[in-house]
Amino acid sequence: MSLASELFKDRRVVLYVAAVALAIIFIGFFGLKFGLDLEGGSYLQLQLQGAVAQVDVSPEEILKVQFNATAVEKHADSYVVTVAGQVPATLPDDLGYSGAKMVERENTTKVTIVASPETVITNYLKKSLDADVKIVGVAPVQYEIRTNVTRDSLNLLLAPVGGRVPQGQDAFVEGVTPDTVDETKKVLDSKLNRLGLQDIKVRIVDNKFILIDLAGMDVATAQDVVGKPGKFEIRIQTEDNQSVHVLYGDAVESVDIPQGDRNGGWGVPFVLSEEGAKIFQKAAIDAGATKNPDAHPISMYLDKDEIFSAPLAAELAGSLEKAPVRNMEARVGAGDAGSQKAKELYIHLREGALPVNVLVVGSGQVSAALGKQFKIQMVIAGIIALLAVAFMIFYRYREPRIVLPMVTTSFSEVVMMLGIWALAGWRLDLASLAGIITVIGTGVDQLVIITDELMRGGETASSTAERSIKERAAAAAEKAGAKVAPASSKVYLNRLSRAFTIILGAAATTAVAMLPLLYMGFGALTGFALIIILGVILGVAIARPAYGRIIGYILAES
Amino acid sequence: MELEDIVSKYPPRQIMLIPIAIIAIALISLGVTYLGTGSPVHLGIEFTGGTLVTVPATESEDAVAAEFAGYPLSDIRNVGSRYMLQFGPMSDADYAQLAKQINSKYDNAEIRYMGPIYSQELQAQAIKYLPISFLLMAIVVFLVFREPIVSLLVVISALADILTAAASMNLTGVQLSLGTVAALLMLIGYSVDTDILLSMRVLKRKGTVEEKIIGAMGTGFMMTGTTIAAVFSLIVVSNFLYLIIPSFTRMDVIADMSTVLIFGLAADIFNTWITNAQGLRWYMNRPKKAVRGQRR
Repeated sequence: MSLASELFKDRRVVLYVAAVALAIIFIGFFGLKFGLDLEGGSYLQLQLQGAVAQVDVSPEEILKVQFNATAVEKHADSYVVTVAGQVPATLPDDLGYSGAKMVERENTTKVTIVASPETVITNYLKKSLDADVKIVGVAPVQYEIRTNVTRDSLNLLLAPVGGRVPQGQDAFVEGVTPDTVDETKKVLDSKLNRLGLQDIKVRIVDNKFILIDLAGMDVATAQDVVGKPGKFEIRIQTEDNQSVHVLYGDAVESVDIPQGDRNGGWGVPFVLSEEGAKIFQKAAIDAGATKNPDAHPISMYLDKDEIFSAPLAAELAGSLEKAPVRNMEARVGAGDAGSQKAKELYIHLREGALPVNVLVVGSGQVSAALGKQFKIQMVIAGIIALLAVAFMIFYRYREPRIVLPMVTTSFSEVVMMLGIWALAGWRLDLASLAGIITVIGTGVDQLVIITDELMRGGETASSTAERSIKERAAAAAEKAGAKVAPASSKVYLNRLSRAFTIILGAAATTAVAMLPLLYMGFGALTGFALIIILGVILGVAIARPAYGRIIGYILAES
Repeated sequence: MELEDIVSKYPPRQIMLIPIAIIAIALISLGVTYLGTGSPVHLGIEFTGGTLVTVPATESEDAVAAEFAGYPLSDIRNVGSRYMLQFGPMSDADYAQLAKQINSKYDNAEIRYMGPIYSQELQAQAIKYLPISFLLMAIVVFLVFREPIVSLLVVISALADILTAAASMNLTGVQLSLGTVAALLMLIGYSVDTDILLSMRVLKRKGTVEEKIIGAMGTGFMMTGTTIAAVFSLIVVSNFLYLIIPSFTRMDVIADMSTVLIFGLAADIFNTWITNAQGLRWYMNRPKKAVRGQRR
């Protein structure tokens, strides 16, 4: 019976051949994807700033301080605030209490606010931190503060209203809730997708870092697009260089994709909410923009940066005189520059702000040309490694029938790893490629253990102690060639199982030592660790058992 | 072969003085660096924070340095066809400005910014994960052998490898980076391979300890040899290829990683066949005496 047909009866060999074939199909079918450092592009590492805290504070005291009130009474679902003298009509709205009723009697004003204690506290925190605050827990009530605060800064903030953060670890936890992290990721995803960027990857690490990979973009642009999200605001110019607040992003109900007109001009159509349209109309009339649009331009701000400023168009100014207008268009100019501007404005309008304040903790870029060069260098390194290893094996065994299966097995392990990578759609980065090369080195080690156990299984060192390693290797190879090797199948299986005890121990230590790397460095070394762990598992489970069989047959054949 | 004589002829206790001396030297090197800098190895830019830029070398170093004089430029080096510039901490606005300036001037710039939070987090991770990795390895070793002394010898040899590799970083000026941390973790797992082979052969085979050690040596040398061959090719490609092929660039991460690995592997040869092997000789030849001693 020929060697091949004999071998194909062994299920380990069949499994191995099938795995390699599958891997080749996967690589051909799905193709290999490369990481940012090999493809070119930029990355951002953002930290979500925030904390989840409990607060010990009386709502009455807050209202008293905020309104400068003489008395605050709590009713079933409302508070009645008594203030000496008059209260500016906009004050309740400014403090976040819309729909407050004010009754003026003699020298006092009574303000009735419909709000729960938690709403009052939330509003106070929002107002004083200029950030979003959300209630995330009941009993005890926890507030998620979506900006950079510490226990001390929060205490300082609560001191004027006689409040504080309770003692204990649980009362103040840095970081935001997983829901919020997820929400932020979604906003980023949709924001970047809408930009029409290819291959964007947004990942969450440790529930507090968001990593973004942007292919084919330099880091300055990436940071502009991603790193500076914030509050969207519409303001209107009143007198001289003064401007007043009109609307926040929440009044923008929907935004349409940018449109070019016949003259090549670009604009972003958007729709205001009913309430927002009324406020906008009132503000425009109050400022005098409907009468004299050019002196009172409308500006849009994102994070206090002006992103758009233009006067009301004549026909819009005319309509606003009569009634609120909900459908508007922000016109940005003509040509490619206009198209680009419209695109950016569209994102800003649509995604006014991320739910949480973010801090760029790391960023960078690699050019595509440099990445390509790294790729070539790594392929060269891989080939040299394989050749060097092959040379070492040949130097020791001097036997092509051993060297060839060994190098083939080692190479097929690489193919299997790449197959898994292709199937999973994972990206190969520089570190993963380095991982592959080290796996070649360690994988061959294990093949050496198998070969030596099989060839010299029963032999003790006594007869060879006086000889050099080279001599003994030569003798061993000679023996292998001279049919001495696997004597009977029982002895052979014994030796094989002994070899596998060593291999399993060695493989397990390598794999567990790599485990922490999966989580380290914001995912920078995940590829390296994963490819080594998988390489070790694939090697031990599929390639090396088959190699054991094949080399056994080859040694017996001769 | 001389090493074989050392391994089998001299009494273990005398030979053990060599590894003990080497470990002591390594510890002193790490200790001195610790006293000087506050950490046992020199921290690279990833752990200290800053900005790393490489740009194509189209003009003189001085001209490039002058170009970025307005920024906290701390180092400039020629790495093949490119210059590597290292900047100290700067404000977000400055960084954004720097990035824009670099991209408008150079076509294929590489930029990496590591903020203070990033580097602090990384330091915390390294301090947390290196011991975890070592502990996991030790647990696996104990599970494999279920013999306290044999396992302990393996773990001690691995520890000696890591210490030597770390000390060699101070010697060669390799800084601790993500790549070198990966290399150290890799060594933790890898360095015990030959120790496991050695201990298994000594425990499971028949014959005298010395014979078995020398028998295992052939296989062990080959194992380390193939790995050194693979790592050496990484060193050549990342470190020296750009000197021959001008269009290539030095790959810092790979260069640092492979330097640490090669020192670790060299230390591994020593620690497996001296430290661990002598420990086994001492342990395997001792039990009968020890038992008798206890009975008295």
